[in-house]
Amino acid sequence: MMNAPPSGGIPRPNSQESLLLDYVHRLERHRHDRRAVHVHLSGLAAQNRREHHTRIAGNTFEQLVKLMQAQVFTLANSDLMVIYKAQAQDEIEASVVKLRFLFSDDPLVMEEQRTRQPLFCTWYSLDREYDMLLALAQKMVQEENAKRHAASEKSAQEAKFQANKPKGSPFTPELLHRVESSLGQADLANLMRRQAVCAVVGKSPPAPVFHELFISIADLRQTLFPSVNVNSSPWLFQQLTETLDRRVLSMLNKHDDRTLEGDISINLNVSTILSPEFLVFDDNVKAGMRGTIVLELQKVDIFADLGGYLFARDFAHDRGYRICIDGLTYSQLPFVDRERLGADLIKLVWDPSLTEEKDKKTEALRRIGVTRIILCRCDNQAGIEYGHSVGITLFQGRHIESMVQGDPRKRGLRARPRA
Amino acid sequence: MNASAFGGRQQEVVTPESLLYDAAERVGRIREGRVALHLHLSRLLPANREEGRIRIAFRMFESMVDAYRGQMFLMTNSDIILICKDARFADLDAIVYKLRALFSTDPLTYAESPDGQDRFVSYYDLEADYDSFFSLCGQMVVDAKKSVADQRTAPQIQPLDAKNLTRVLERIGATDIAGVVRRQACIRINENMHAEVAFQEFFMSIMDLQKALAPDVNILSNRWLFQHLSQVLDLRVLSVLQDVGFRKMPAAFSVNLNMATVQTPVFQQFEASIRGRAGLVVEFQLLDIFNDLDGFFRTRDLLRSRGHRSVLDGMSPVTLQFMDAELYDTDYVKVSWSNDMLDDIKTAELLAALGPVGFDRVILSRCDSETSVSWGLAQGIRMFQGRFLDSMIAAVTMAQCGKSSACTLQQCTHRHAVINGRPRAECGDNDMLDLFPVLKALR
Repeated sequence: MMNAPPSGGIPRPNSQESLLLDYVHRLERHRHDRRAVHVHLSGLAAQNRREHHTRIAGNTFEQLVKLMQAQVFTLANSDLMVIYKAQAQDEIEASVVKLRFLFSDDPLVMEEQRTRQPLFCTWYSLDREYDMLLALAQKMVQEENAKRHAASEKSAQEAKFQANKPKGSPFTPELLHRVESSLGQADLANLMRRQAVCAVVGKSPPAPVFHELFISIADLRQTLFPSVNVNSSPWLFQQLTETLDRRVLSMLNKHDDRTLEGDISINLNVSTILSPEFLVFDDNVKAGMRGTIVLELQKVDIFADLGGYLFARDFAHDRGYRICIDGLTYSQLPFVDRERLGADLIKLVWDPSLTEEKDKKTEALRRIGVTRIILCRCDNQAGIEYGHSVGITLFQGRHIESMVQGDPRKRGLRARPRA
Repeated sequence: MNASAFGGRQQEVVTPESLLYDAAERVGRIREGRVALHLHLSRLLPANREEGRIRIAFRMFESMVDAYRGQMFLMTNSDIILICKDARFADLDAIVYKLRALFSTDPLTYAESPDGQDRFVSYYDLEADYDSFFSLCGQMVVDAKKSVADQRTAPQIQPLDAKNLTRVLERIGATDIAGVVRRQACIRINENMHAEVAFQEFFMSIMDLQKALAPDVNILSNRWLFQHLSQVLDLRVLSVLQDVGFRKMPAAFSVNLNMATVQTPVFQQFEASIRGRAGLVVEFQLLDIFNDLDGFFRTRDLLRSRGHRSVLDGMSPVTLQFMDAELYDTDYVKVSWSNDMLDDIKTAELLAALGPVGFDRVILSRCDSETSVSWGLAQGIRMFQGRFLDSMIAAVTMAQCGKSSACTLQQCTHRHAVINGRPRAECGDNDMLDLFPVLKALR
């Protein structure tokens, strides 16, 4: 019900700097009536710069973004750059006030109040200060590229030594055995998350197409084996996913609420589809109201036993399930041929680098079939914009979730589907 | 009724076969409109006969039971038998068609027997063919009894799980890994039709490993856990290979490794121990590659930068249908020979799939017959591996060996295949054993 955590360093979720630069370029002839505010969240104390702070800060401007009054860029150093229409000045200022209040106990904000120097944010008026902003954006891109370059070299180095220097205690068969045994008693319902896969067309709000049900691995790990480095054995982890599959199926089988109603997707291993638990599940959903059920599979599992996959796929199709290949990055697409594998859908991981060499990539995505692609892990609006520019209409991710839910603070957003 | 009251016969155990036999007996009195269908799933390749698939096949028949007062039986050998009344043949055909599609990668579903019979399914019209069907049922009872008895005396083997994997891993230290390492030459045929050894592949005989390491656990029964085990075994094999007293170093070593192993100090040690004396080829499995595609490319490039070669291992007509082997850009692509490749359509498909790789980079493995080598040569393949070539190498060695009068071809082949132990000690000329002479004038 999940996949192996990325084995290298975690890639940065986006390169908003290049998008910002792009946007500033595009505004060259529309600089009139545009303004910008650079919110220096990077100057905040570390405990105020955690991911959820940045997210909340970004979401402060959400309403204006939706109304097409503003565009928000969350930069790598957690700074925000908001470019907006002059008519929204009041709302933007109100939002900045809110932010300042949110971080009012931070030294930066206190210092600002004391010295009356603008430390928390810098304002730009594009018709006068366009060049200044352009230069700033260019500098940011350069710095970000240099940092990325250094980081990729570092992660290559780290990968080299990863085998020698695992973080946390290694994942051993003994530990796996203990985890598997405790899964028998653990209440998985607490760890079950839902995230919508939505159709987003034009400017209309996201319309959920189905909901992915998944186990939050971060929380499972926290509950059952907090000090263990699951990266240290991808294979033991893969085995754990099979055990989890069965536990989740039996939980879904027992569920008397409406979990199984409506359109859902679940993450499974091929071998689970061929297991008795799945046949029981199949009976249950048949008896209940069966909507579309999407089975999400991992590429490693498919290629581990192609014969097994083909069998499971044909059986699943015969029973009306759809097959989705989960968690593919752009560079992996040539190796996982959706059409030849006979899968209905693939999930493509959103990454700002998709916007580079765009024609070539667009062509490749069209060959796969843009209607077959779910752009997942969309953490910001840029993902949707990119998707729309190539014709993708299905999206998933925190940003989509926050658009659906309105207030993201109410939801358990720490979780993320396995791919 | 108590069976033992009559002549002390053992109490009959209820088996699917005995239930089928009873049902067939009853049907004998009411044969009208009845048909039986026998699905020969026991003839599938072992990998396709796996429990989950059989269970699903069985499940597919349920609709027939409901619709046509049917009875179905899942036999001990995985065959499925269905008896039903007034069934529409179109419905039966539809289900059989579906099942055939499910098992479509298995030769059973597309290869007919020599007499043109469908080997996948047999139909019986019980009005006309009752006797042959009934005798089939009787035969199945006898066969099942025998296999149940065999199973009872067979040692109990547990599936591999997280708990016993710990034990298996602990036992590695006390296991003679060198004793289960095998070698096989991969030969390259040049334009004069001479064949010389390109490299020697070193691998573990899983059957022997199973016996030596874990006679009570089926180590292959869990793919992921076996993979974890294999990472540990990789290290042992690499250290064992440094200790073999080869009389003549192989031109190149080929080893099957996990990607992770290439990053270990043990690999670096091995590399250092053969540097300047022998080449190195590393063979990778799809499963491992897909666990970390980006890591695979890094590993391949790392090997290349140090002058080693890589192999995309385990290709077959099925895998090649779903992937473009050339994209992996390994030095060699290894395709396993199977007899179905002789089929014109299969041959054409393989030509199309391997064309972009280039046939000079293809290794045809598991060549167990002359036919396989001729087929490969006809396609432009130059590198071969397999039992057929092992015997040829042994035969040529014996022709040149002064001590060969005391040996059989089989002995010589076996001694070539191991790296230590008695078979090697029994050979009268270890120099000859490690020589791997050029095979001349290959047809």
